[in-house]
This record gives sequence, C-alpha cells and structure tokens, in this order.
Amino acid sequence: MPQLSINGQSYFTDSPPDAPLLWVIREDLQLTGTKYGCGLGVCGSCTVHLNGQPVRSCMVKLGDVDSNTVITTIEGLDPGDAHPVQKAWIEAQVPQCGYCQSGQIMQAAALLAANPNPTSEEIVAHMNGNLCRCATYSRIVGAVHRAADLMKEGVNHG
Amino acid sequence: MVNPITTNPVTAETEKTVMTRREFLVRSTVIAGSGFFSIGLPGLLAGKNAQAALATPAYTPAIWFTITPDGKTTMHIVKAEMGQHIGTGLAQVIAEELEVRWEDVRLDSPLESVENFSVYGLAYTVNSGSVTTEFDRIARAGAAGRIALVEAGAGVLNAKVADCYAESGRVIDKASRRSVGYGEILQKVKIDRKFSYPDDLKGITLKDPSQYKIIGKSLAALDIPAKTNGKAKYGIDVFLPNMAYGALVVPRSRYNSKVLSIDDSDAKKIPGFIKAVKIDNSMGKCTGWVVAVADKFPTAMKAAKALKVKWDAGPYASLGSAEMLEQYKQLSKDEKQSANWVLEGDVDKGFSDADKTLEMEYTTDMVCHATMEPLNATVQQINGEWHVHVGTQSTSFARMTLTGYLSSVLKKKPEDIKVFVHQYLVGGGFGGKQDYDDILAAAYCAKETGRPVKLIHTRETNFATSFARTPTYHKLKAGIKKGELVAMNQDIVCGWMGARFGVGKKGGTDWLQLDSWDEKKQDIDQWSIGGSDHWYNVKNHRVRAWNHENTTWAVQASALRTVSNSYNIFVVESFMDEVALAAGRDPLEFRLAMLNGKGGNRGIPNSGYPAGTGSDYYMDQLWISLPWPKEKSWPVYESATVGGALRLANCLRVAAGKSGYGTKKLPPNTGMGIAVTAAEERQSPTWVAGIAEVTVDPATGKFGINKITIAMDPGIAVNPANIEAQIRGSALWGASQIMSEKLTLKNGAFEQSNFHEYQPIRLAQVPQIDVTIIQSERHPSGVGEPASTVVAPAVANAIANAVGARVRHMPISPEAVLAAMKIKA
Repeated sequence: MPQLSINGQSYFTDSPPDAPLLWVIREDLQLTGTKYGCGLGVCGSCTVHLNGQPVRSCMVKLGDVDSNTVITTIEGLDPGDAHPVQKAWIEAQVPQCGYCQSGQIMQAAALLAANPNPTSEEIVAHMNGNLCRCATYSRIVGAVHRAADLMKEGVNHG
Repeated sequence: MVNPITTNPVTAETEKTVMTRREFLVRSTVIAGSGFFSIGLPGLLAGKNAQAALATPAYTPAIWFTITPDGKTTMHIVKAEMGQHIGTGLAQVIAEELEVRWEDVRLDSPLESVENFSVYGLAYTVNSGSVTTEFDRIARAGAAGRIALVEAGAGVLNAKVADCYAESGRVIDKASRRSVGYGEILQKVKIDRKFSYPDDLKGITLKDPSQYKIIGKSLAALDIPAKTNGKAKYGIDVFLPNMAYGALVVPRSRYNSKVLSIDDSDAKKIPGFIKAVKIDNSMGKCTGWVVAVADKFPTAMKAAKALKVKWDAGPYASLGSAEMLEQYKQLSKDEKQSANWVLEGDVDKGFSDADKTLEMEYTTDMVCHATMEPLNATVQQINGEWHVHVGTQSTSFARMTLTGYLSSVLKKKPEDIKVFVHQYLVGGGFGGKQDYDDILAAAYCAKETGRPVKLIHTRETNFATSFARTPTYHKLKAGIKKGELVAMNQDIVCGWMGARFGVGKKGGTDWLQLDSWDEKKQDIDQWSIGGSDHWYNVKNHRVRAWNHENTTWAVQASALRTVSNSYNIFVVESFMDEVALAAGRDPLEFRLAMLNGKGGNRGIPNSGYPAGTGSDYYMDQLWISLPWPKEKSWPVYESATVGGALRLANCLRVAAGKSGYGTKKLPPNTGMGIAVTAAEERQSPTWVAGIAEVTVDPATGKFGINKITIAMDPGIAVNPANIEAQIRGSALWGASQIMSEKLTLKNGAFEQSNFHEYQPIRLAQVPQIDVTIIQSERHPSGVGEPASTVVAPAVANAIANAVGARVRHMPISPEAVLAAMKIKA
C-alpha cells in the first residue's frame, strides 16, 4: 500500500498508481484544503508543494511520488496557520469565495521561499497560472509584497 | 426562481401559514439546561411544527440570532456565502441595533427543511438583493431584541426601564451607573416579550446613521480566516460513511438527448466500479445523463470514459450558435411576435420628426458561470429521510426541487418525502448555483446503489452542462433632432430564461409574471430584457422583445451575474456613444444632459415601489412574501430608486473627474470610454459609472485595459472595504467578459471543455482600478454585481475613441477591432 509523507505525517492509501495525487490527498486522506478546479493544470487550485516546489497535484500521479517525497498542503504550510502569506492574506482580506485561495497561497509561499524580494512583475509572472473567478487579483500582488515584508520582520512562519 | 416542478403542496401549504402570522416573539427558552435567547418571526410558535421543535432539546432555536448565556451571539444567516461576505454584512446590521460586541458575534447557516422553511422563509441568494431586502427587517429584529433585553435588564438591576439603555452587550442604568451583561440577564430572567406585527415593529425607531458604530465599518469578514488555512468547508468537501462517488458521462447534447443504450463491458473491468446509472429524467432535468458510480472519484472518472453510451441526440442536435443568430434575425422581422417592455411617447413619430436617424445591430455571445468549485452534490438516504449536502444559492429551491423529483421517481406524495438540505460554503455562484440537476442525479444514484453518493462534475462535464447566458441580437434605432436624442427603439431577440424557472404563464405558473406594456398584455420576461429600461430621459422610447424558445431549452438559458444587464448595458451604453457622435456631442455631456432625473426617472420618494406596476408585483413576490405576509405593509423602507437619475449623473461626474476624462493627456492609440448602469433591476438600482482607459495596437487589433475607474453610490455602505472588494472583483468580471469569455454551441453541444478553451481574466491582464464609494444615508442597495456591467461598454467606447473602431459585439476580438478599423478607414 503506497505510503506518503504529507505535512510531516505518514499516510497510507489504497488508490492505484495512476490516481491523480490531488484526489488521493483530498478524498482518500480528507485533506480537503487542496481543491479540484480543472484537472488539466491550467487553474492552480490544486497547488501543493513537492519537495518545496509548487506543483499542480492534478497532474501528478500517485505512482510519481513515494514516501521520500516531502508533500506539503495548505493544512501543513504552518503549524499555527500563521505563515506570513496567510497573515498577509487575512490582513489584505484577499479571499472572496475562497475556493482557489489554498492554491494561491501555496503558489505565493513557494515564490517567497525561493525569492524573498520579488518585484511586482515577478509576482504576476509567478501567480498568473492561478485562476480566481471572483477576481481577487487586485489584492494578491500587494498581499505577496506584504508577506515578503512580514518574513523580513522575522515573523514566525514555522 | 421556482422550477415548474416545485409548484407542489410544499409551497402552497407554507404560503397559507405565512398569511396567519401577526406576532413577533422575543423569548428565552430552556434548552438542554441553558437559557437561550432567541428572536423569532411573527408567529414562530403559531405553527405546530415550530412549537414541537422548540420543545425538543436538540433543536437549534431562533431565527435571526441566538444569544447564549456566555454572552456570545450567533447570527443565523440564510443567505449563501459565496464570496460576497454576506454573513458579515448582515451580522453588522443586527449587531448595530442589538448592541452586542462585534467580537462576540458568530455566524451559522440553518438547515433547510419543511419545518425550518416556515420559520426562516425562503433561502435564496440572487440579484444583489440580500442587503437591500434584509436590512430593514433585521435591523428591527435586532432593535426588538435590544428592547426586550433592556426591559429584562432593568428588572435585574431593579431600575426603571426608562433609565436603562444597552451598549456593547450590557444593559446600563443611567441613574446608578450599574450594569448587567446580556448573558447574565439570560441566566436570571426568562424573557417573553411580544411585538405586534406590523405596528410595534414599524413603530421601533431605528438608529440614525450618524449613531452607527458597527454599520459603516470595514470590519474583517468572518469567513476569511478559514479560507486561508484549508479549514473552510465547501459542498465538495463532504464525507459520509460508506460514500460512493459519481462521475457524469459527457452527454451528447446540452439538453434533451435520450440514452438509447449503455455498454458497460469495459467499465466493469475497472476495479472499484460499482455501476452505471441512467438518471431518471422524467422532470425534464438531467436529460441524457449517465453517471458512473465507483468507490473512488478517479475510478468513477475512468469508468465514465469507459462507458459506451448511445444517444438519440434530441431536438436540438443540429442547433449551433450561427443557426441561432440567423433565426434571431428572422424572428425580429415578425413584429406581431414581439412584446413591449418599454413604451413611452410615440417612437415612430419621433423618428419621422427627427433630423436624422441612426440604426445599428449588436450581438453578444454566450458565456457561462464557470465557478471555480464545479457543481457537485452529496446525497444520503437514511431511514426514509433524504439529506443533501451542497453549497447552493438556494437550499429552499433545492429541497423543493428534489422533493418534486423524488415524488415522481418514487411515486409518492410530496408531503411523504422528507428532504433536508445542509448548506456549505459556495465556491463561486454568479447565478450558476440555482439549478439542482446534480442534486437530483446524486439522489437517484443514492437510490440505485443504496449508498450515499457524492457526485462531482469534472470541469469537462461542468462545461458541457453549463447553464448559459443566452446569445442576443439587438437592433437599435435613434432619432436625433437638433443634437438631441428624441426617439429610441431597441429590439431584443434572445432565449428568455424565465420560462425555464417557471416564470410566467408559459413557465407553467403565474409566478413573477409581468405583462407587456401593450394591449396584448402578454408574458414578458424581466430577467431577459431588464437593463434596456435605462435612466436617460428620452421622450419617445420603446423596447420590444422576442423570445427564441429553442434557445431557452437548448442552452438551458440562465441568470449570469446581473442577468440581462450584462448584455443590455453593453448594447445601450455602446450605442449611446454612437448617438452622441452622430449628434455632434461629447459622450459625457450628452449623457449628463439626459440624466436629469425628470419624469419617470426621478425615482420614488420615501416609500415602497411604484404602485400598480409589474415591478411592484415582482419585488413583492420575490423578496417579501416569504416569510412575511403578502400585504403591502412591508417593506416600510425607502426605495433604492430615491434620487433617481440624478444620483447616476453624480456618479458619472465623480468617475469622469477621477479618471481625467477629457483632460488627461493620453498616449497614441489610447482612448477613454464611459458608461453608466443602474443594475440590478429598475426597482433596485445601484448607481454606478465606469470609465475605461484602453490602448490598442493598430497593427494587430490587440487591446489592453490600462485603468478602470468606478464610482458607485450604494446608499448606506455597510462595510466599505468589502464593497470595494466587490466592485473590484465585478469590474474585472466585466473586463473578462469583453476581452475573452465566449461559449459557443455546435450541434446542440457546447464547444468549450475547460479553461484552456474558455478563458477568464488572469492576473497579468489586471489593470489599475480606482474605486470611489459615494456613501449616503439612503437605503442600501446591492453591490455584488452592478459594477460588472459598465466595464464592457466603457472598453468598447474606449477602443472606438482610441482608434475609431466601433465593435458591436461582445466579446471583442482583436480581429474584430482590425475589421472595424478598416471600415473606418
């Protein structure tokens, strides 16, 4: 039975190797913060981190990962749900319906981990694959900048 | 909107009980050992169901709110939470009058059932109507609660009621400066206070806006934290014991294909496949649907692809977008089949008297909601009860529709079928979650498999079963005399959505039926024509509408954010610029001159809606009848039309000034365009002006929006920061509509299958947005949708001003801009 390491915990699933990781995470393991939006990798709602990299989990097969793959979902981004991106998201009141926001936050967190000082252009380029039908876009760029500032201020982010 | 099948005894019975309500009760009741304080609608205890419910320890009491002895207040929100943070806004209104501390406020969402329907009324979230229609009555409910608590608190303090007042969850005696908390009062006193309806309630003096402490504050939305950490629960996040999954096979046609045969030999080879379920379509819903049920969702998807289904493609098998447009043009030639929506003055005489006339054709393509959360539903049958878990715009209609369906499927009387609908967060609505096909199909699968079934649309099946906004065809004619618009005619041909929702006689009910303004007095569908009834003073004005019924059914025409405003404002406001140009006037000055607030555009002062019009009937039926009595005694609040077109002119001046319209130096191939709207409905306007600044590449026709400026007058701004968020989101929705969103039909099926083919706006396309909220003390109107309508025409007008290209079609493609530039050259 495949074993997965998600948010620092071990999980087992009886899904077949060709099952998309997205559905294993959210339906088998009930970590429902990761959302289905398109199944084609074109909307970003299902973004999780695989070994720190932002990945569309709908495009990854269960057989592509193993217990050595470090998988992080929105539930494990920060032990106190207080990652700088999460704090900035609340401060800027980014979410509306909220459905795409786990993906947005995971995508933004991966950017800041790699580039603590992104320019607005870099933020737009990095976040452009994440669709938001409520169009919360006009708060996203500012919130990513704010999260970068919070990180510099040494705010605890797990 | 009600579906034809929902005209069942459930509705009728409830309406009867509504008529008898005459009291408004505030009482505390002992439940499971604690004193709860609840505030109820008139006659809460009149219905035997409610009485029984209150006596049951497990019952969650109360209507608008419940205060518990710990001093916390839970606001019971019947409106769907789908991105508009409505719970926070409504809670602000109650908390203001109830005088509770904001940090003690919680939200919940009542279970939908026959019993609760008679208590809470219709749970339906549409039309940007929640704050407009709820504000007054929930403010009064809050005030009634405060009055009862002050009276009880005075008793606890052994003080005179007249000396006591409430503040921040405490009752204070002015004389002695002693005070007691709401929670403590509940522990010590049993409250049983009645307010007569309507007199006592109407007699309550609400706070003057200058006294507001909670209304008008940009408080953080209560639903947001859970949306940043994965804890927010949407319908798709439901799990039930022993649950199976359903995935739909992409049906042959959008509507009315018929399943001839299902070959499941390949699907049976897939481990975990349970069965292929041909969904009962006896209610004219879920036509041609086959659902693969499996133990896991990926298995269900795989099985759905492996099923070999043969269909009779049905009556719309050869219909496509091109054919529909051709049929619209033909239909518009038959004046006998039209119905008048607007008829003022003598339009034909106006044209013959004019110095010159201008005639143009406009068209708009279909679009769809494409909510980020695809439609889904989970249904469980336990002990003869049907439990639906879903995020929907109407738990009430979901319950009624499923009741009617099961009545047909199970051959039982509706009253013998018990349906409960559990509401969840809605991952985007926009009008797209007020159909219930997925619930019916999940229930049918649950019946066929004996297990709870979670049916999830893949993005592909969600697109294939879209409830589309109808395509439209418009003919416009203007008569210009001495530079003035003296006559205007708009002909509109489209598929009327109302009939599909049971509106009007043709829909099988008289519900929400409007009469045309002519001797024929025929059905006319406000939802498909509204927005053409603009607020400009034009002496002779006519709007004629034709229903293309095949469209209604073939594309399952539906309401999409602002409903018909979303195309009619594009058409009217684009054409206004063309008329201004032909009249030799500046589009801004031309508009302001006609937005003079005279005659029928003056708005209704001080109370109610215009008497004796179809409009009145509509508002009453939709918003007021449930659970309030039907008499015209409610609403007591001011009409949102007060001030009329003058408020719209004011918005336009503000937006023009802030954008630098007419004064800002613009780069080459750059133009500004203006537009106004009073969406959502003529009776419930929110005044909005929008200005777009657009740059066009003359070589390719590609255009980019540099900046959008919006000025909105919503009256009282309950939560300004949230209103700004709604405006920004809806402005970008409008930008998306004019730039790229397009749904097309071919051989009875939609051609777009996923977000690579159907393209909503993305971050890189987002322009600068400048928002001004013009706050006033007028009754609040809706903010979730209206701003979306001005952006499309403002962009079209900006393109025309930038490079002289007038595109009379939505969306605007670069090719269309190039073609229009050639016409100009």
